[in-house]
Amino acid sequence: MEKMGKPAAGVITNRFVEVARANAKKKGMPNARLVFVPHPVSGMKPEQHRAYVVGKDPATGKQVIQEIVDALTAPLTDEDKKTGFVQTKAPSRLIGPQTPDNLQRLFHASGWTDYLPVILPTEKKVSDMLKGTSRLPEEVVGKMAGGDYEPWEYTVEQVAVNAVMAGAKPEHLPLILAIASTGISSIDSSPDSLVRAVVVNGPVREEIGMNFETGAMGPFNQANAVIGRAWTLISRNLGNAGIVGETYAGSQGNSLNYNNIVIAENEGRSPWTPLSVQKGFKAGESVISIFTGLGMHPGQGAKRAGAVLKPAYNAQISSILDTFAGHFAALIVCDPLVAKNLKEAGFDTKEKLSQWLQLNTKMAVADYKESRFAALYDAPLAKKGVQPYAGWFKLPATARIPRFASAESIEIVVTGGETLAVFQAGNLKYMTSAAVDKWR
Amino acid sequence: MKIKSAFLVTAILLFSTVSTVSAQDARITVLNPKGTPPPTPLVPMAPRPASLEGKTVYFMDIGYDGGASLLHEIMAWFTQNQPAAKLEFRAKAGAHEQEDAKLWEEIRQKADAVVIAIGH
Repeated sequence: MEKMGKPAAGVITNRFVEVARANAKKKGMPNARLVFVPHPVSGMKPEQHRAYVVGKDPATGKQVIQEIVDALTAPLTDEDKKTGFVQTKAPSRLIGPQTPDNLQRLFHASGWTDYLPVILPTEKKVSDMLKGTSRLPEEVVGKMAGGDYEPWEYTVEQVAVNAVMAGAKPEHLPLILAIASTGISSIDSSPDSLVRAVVVNGPVREEIGMNFETGAMGPFNQANAVIGRAWTLISRNLGNAGIVGETYAGSQGNSLNYNNIVIAENEGRSPWTPLSVQKGFKAGESVISIFTGLGMHPGQGAKRAGAVLKPAYNAQISSILDTFAGHFAALIVCDPLVAKNLKEAGFDTKEKLSQWLQLNTKMAVADYKESRFAALYDAPLAKKGVQPYAGWFKLPATARIPRFASAESIEIVVTGGETLAVFQAGNLKYMTSAAVDKWR
Repeated sequence: MKIKSAFLVTAILLFSTVSTVSAQDARITVLNPKGTPPPTPLVPMAPRPASLEGKTVYFMDIGYDGGASLLHEIMAWFTQNQPAAKLEFRAKAGAHEQEDAKLWEEIRQKADAVVIAIGH
């Protein structure tokens, strides 16, 4: 608004004082006129909002409404009129010499770790790591921001430094660079405490010894573990994501942010096309695919799970999806036994299963209207008359509509060791894929 | 034999203790893992009117819970206390982080000031 020449006042709840002020600074308006009301405003009655308006701003002690009027009418100071650039001095490339213990303490105190011990990135270790790629150390890999701020740019060497810290080996670096090249932070600023997943396809899985068999998604394999951890350290250090009070507002946080959900697809035991091929890559290419969302749900809790009768896994999966936030997305992670069962039941492609699930998972209009995602994303479209949302919002509360807007929003991958016919379902949405081979 | 073995164990322990102390005290240089923020262009703020009398003030809700209700209460205060200001409420189209080009253009043409509420 200010860029358009319009005086503006932002009214925000006081739970976000630091985040709002930090974001204003990052947007080039350190003196943006922000007014704070008590948190929360959600779920409050109009009379409570009325009291907030004439009450005091908890951040400044001044009356809220007077601050709003002043924000729009008080003359600008010289600081408010400033132009030019705020340039942050690049940090020194090297730190030390110092003892390893002191450096560990410094790294933790500076917020450069996940608060677990890290491998200290000596020049020798970083140099060795860089042998994992033919790319030059100074080459720019991408830009990243974990929230609504200007993204930070980073080089191959900077990614390698963080890969060393995570415990990665040189052979892991191309895959880590591919993740970094997407510019997607593993830690999102959202109060929803979002998580990210990465699915790995192609020969790189076997080349670096990833686990896609027994315990595939657990802490039983170095490659799986350190690739996910490197993504989080890169996000914190090179994308400035996950800085609580500045770039992170997840109310409860999520332990999956430690090393994310890393899934190497068990292509050899899957009866279906690998995810990477579904996304347009050639069979035999090494590819990573990234998902975002709320987390994973265990299939063992599904309706009829463990039934003595021949299991109908499509129905079990749909019963888990019935608990999902409506109108977002799903990532179904099947053990090969489940995938084979489904193929025998007639689902000879992933697409057929996605279509069946989309048609057979529904929600009541009353629940749809109350869901956060529908309120945030669909309601504004419904108001503009965009179908099918406008029609859905007019239906009676008891009418049932699809829980997922399209079959394409339900993705399926296969991993696991066939010790039990189980599946997990992530309330996760596909974001993008990237080739690994070009980072070798 | 026993004496010889005891001597050997003691020597290994002593050696490893000395080595550990030495490794802990050794000073090393490491690479800084932190990136650098991009240069931030400063945005000069818009000139302010002396008062809102006769001015059109837009009240924009971006879609988070509670924002619209809060804005309506702010507008109610203006109606009562600054009746010479013209008030317009708008709900921004699209998700909270998306631009609304149509509304932006309307604001560019018609608004003198904007109050934006972010619910939660």
